[in-house]
Amino acid sequence: MTHAGVGGGTDITARMMMVQAPAEFGQEFTVVNRTAGSGAQALQYLASKPADGHTIILVTQTHLLTQLRNANLPQFGDLIPVARATADPQLVLVRRDSPFRTAADLIEAGKTRSLRFGGTHVGGVDHVTIFAFGRAAGLQRPTLVPFRGGGEIVINLVGGNIDTAVVNPGEAEAQLRAGELRPLMSLADTRIAAFGELPTAKELGINATGYTLRGFCVLKGTPEDRVARLEQGLIRAMSGPIYKTYLENTGQAPDSVAGREAWGAQLAGFNNDGREALTALGLLRG
Amino acid sequence: MEAFLGGLAILVDPYVMLMVLLGTVLGIFVGALPGISGSTTIALMLPMTIAMGPVPAICFLGAIYCAANFGGSITAIMVNAPGDPSASATALEGFKMAEKGQAGLALGMSAISSAIGGIVSVVVLIFAAPLLARAAYSFGPPEYFALALFGLSMCAAVGGDSALKNLIAAALGLLIATVGMDLTTGVERYAFGVMELSDGIGFVPVLIGLFAVGEMLDQATRRLGKPAIIALDAARVPGWAEMRKCWRSIWLGSGIGTFIGALPALGATTAALIGYNETRRWSKHKHEFGHGSIEGVAGPEAANNAAVGGSMVPTLALGIPGSATTAIILAGLIVQGVRPGPHLFNEQPTLLYAVFASMLAANIFYLVMGLTMAKFFARISLIPPAFLWPSVFALSLIGAYGPNQSMGDVWVMMVAGFVGLLFRRAGFSPAPLIMGLVLGGMVEETLKQSLIIFGDDLTGFLARPIAMTLIVVTLAGLLWPVLARLVRMRRAAA
Amino acid sequence: MIRRFGTNQAAALCVALVAAAAFAATYGFDPVPEGLPGLGAVEFPRLICLVMAGMAVLLFLQESAPHDPEVAPPIRGDAIAIFAACLLAVPLMAVIGMLGTIAVFLVVVGRLWGEVRWPMLLAVSLSMTAIIWLVFVKIFRLTLPTGMVFGG
Repeated sequence: MTHAGVGGGTDITARMMMVQAPAEFGQEFTVVNRTAGSGAQALQYLASKPADGHTIILVTQTHLLTQLRNANLPQFGDLIPVARATADPQLVLVRRDSPFRTAADLIEAGKTRSLRFGGTHVGGVDHVTIFAFGRAAGLQRPTLVPFRGGGEIVINLVGGNIDTAVVNPGEAEAQLRAGELRPLMSLADTRIAAFGELPTAKELGINATGYTLRGFCVLKGTPEDRVARLEQGLIRAMSGPIYKTYLENTGQAPDSVAGREAWGAQLAGFNNDGREALTALGLLRG
Repeated sequence: MEAFLGGLAILVDPYVMLMVLLGTVLGIFVGALPGISGSTTIALMLPMTIAMGPVPAICFLGAIYCAANFGGSITAIMVNAPGDPSASATALEGFKMAEKGQAGLALGMSAISSAIGGIVSVVVLIFAAPLLARAAYSFGPPEYFALALFGLSMCAAVGGDSALKNLIAAALGLLIATVGMDLTTGVERYAFGVMELSDGIGFVPVLIGLFAVGEMLDQATRRLGKPAIIALDAARVPGWAEMRKCWRSIWLGSGIGTFIGALPALGATTAALIGYNETRRWSKHKHEFGHGSIEGVAGPEAANNAAVGGSMVPTLALGIPGSATTAIILAGLIVQGVRPGPHLFNEQPTLLYAVFASMLAANIFYLVMGLTMAKFFARISLIPPAFLWPSVFALSLIGAYGPNQSMGDVWVMMVAGFVGLLFRRAGFSPAPLIMGLVLGGMVEETLKQSLIIFGDDLTGFLARPIAMTLIVVTLAGLLWPVLARLVRMRRAAA
Repeated sequence: MIRRFGTNQAAALCVALVAAAAFAATYGFDPVPEGLPGLGAVEFPRLICLVMAGMAVLLFLQESAPHDPEVAPPIRGDAIAIFAACLLAVPLMAVIGMLGTIAVFLVVVGRLWGEVRWPMLLAVSLSMTAIIWLVFVKIFRLTLPTGMVFGG
């Protein structure tokens, strides 16, 4: 089950996984799209099903933020992470003729005025990442200019309506190749293979990371052997050539697929960041 | 040139042509069904195309996209239930024509103008894609705000009894557009804690409710009245006289559609609505609008199919999709290992021209199919109403539920259906409401984005030449009738 | 001024009511988080509500067209029965699923609409449901709502 509409990046991730999953598990898979409420409906649907591992939810950071903002939903603690499907690192980009030549230029400018960052909606995943980045770098609180999606952010970045943005490499691929956008740093844990020259924020002394995460979870109470079986099966299904090619062609890190330990730790980390950011931004009720 | 010929060569490859043909048939079919749009179909077909190889896969998906846009007009004309959202403008005049017994004319004109619009936009795409793509970068929030104002400025003139009623309907549409999470503040508006409402009220269920369910409920009240006009002339298809009459509308729609489609934030539905407005504005037969004007079918149909070619411009040249459908086609390209972007035109021109050639072929296929089948589809109006309307309702249920799998959307459709009934009885038209709903969110959002970018300073608009030009044109359009009357009075007095 | 309370006046009252309710509801919105630049969440809806209310007044003052049975035929009992069938169809889906509901709806409303031949009604209903099942469920793999009693 996924919270995304048919055909979005998240939906396609689920469908690509499913190409090989039935062979692994010896049974049919169907995708159920529950789109309403930024993942809220998907979580409710999950909670309405028995905790037997037959209903798997494709979780993104959006779910965590939705949970934080709505106490009536199944909370982070009610989910058992099973396996990570994608972990797409984000880059800090500026346009070609931007006055910021280096990461240091950007940070300097950001200390004297509020920078205009492009991102998705207020209180969304990008907002949390930008907030955490700004705080770690000691910037004045950045101004978020919200847009509907990655494509619009990229266009407005090239068009000069915003100073900078935090974007997945795949979304800005064409503009990066054409040299219309320049990366200043990456928000990955380690250097990204495709951008070997590019320093990470951590190397520059800014303790912030930014990933687009997608992965599978089941409801708490699912028997341990089921979870282990699912973890193995899903990882094997996602190690097949079709899923590998999908990751490669969409410019996502080939080491995206990971077991529940790494996936769970990463989710927990973002859950904390998200809670802090939403509280500081005044978006968390009660 | 070599690459161009290489691209055209696929037109004689029987395997690729078979895929284009299959895609066209599938596209017309799903386009005509409410509830399954072109974008859903392409998403469902995507995993199947992986094994095909890049050229046939992309030709197949492109053909579905082209044909689905045309298919939507069939149900829009026959039962007032737009099978694809982009056909909502077509329903305005098309269904009125079908009621007058001119279903064949409307369907035929839809096929012809769709094909011309589609072909024009593909030709523009071939020659001007890299240039047009640059335009996308100069369109930021202020420019979109001005464009949305331009679209809304015609609301008063479209539809019902009086300008006042049209404006009220448009305001209602604007109000509905504010439901859900506000993009720039993160505040939920009019959601009342209902989860289904926090993402906003979907465009599709409102559309299906207002048009199809509203029509069915209205028919139920006049069931025993005088029998519906028998479709005497239902099977007649357009001839040269109609073509001459619609020529201007078709060119106008094609131009508007190509341009609007090329702007990444706007899609075929907006293109069709603005195409309808402009067709009406420049028509010599304004009095026919609202009573089944054939030009009112030709304009929006040319525009929504031209938008298909147009929306491939940013998708292929910038790697930025202009609509939900192109987003999925983009995913399809990427899965095949084709990386869209400006370099595509230098590095893989043969593939690119193959895509163009297949889109041209798809347009010609559905033109032929549309014209030969128009007579057959027109017979739908001869189905006894006791079977036709309940079936329309059944399809509406699926149509509202399908895209988001949400019962909330079904309820929205029911409410919209009864609102549609009241609208009809009180002399309001659903058209301006739909325009308000489509453009309203954009007006508010882009205004707020602009203000954030300008640092809360409205004078920032003065520094944006494109936005200012559009605003001036909008004002001129609104003031023109008033000025013209003043001038005439002055002359009469002199 | 106005001589008759007609459709324009009724419509104007409805519009004014919607505008007033929507305006009042803006006071129930969550507060906008502090420090966000730009326009807040309530200004735009309130502006629309005010404009709507103003237009409702203008509409109220406009003379209604004389009642025209062509535009608004009288609603008789049979039409109300069809309206009720439409409304009942949605809760019915929770019981017998969407496909079951469609099959029942086609027979019931077909009958209400004036078709008296039962075999014909059943045949159309069954074949239509079968086609919908084939196309939407089998070919396009759409998951339609299932009911408690009857799956679909």
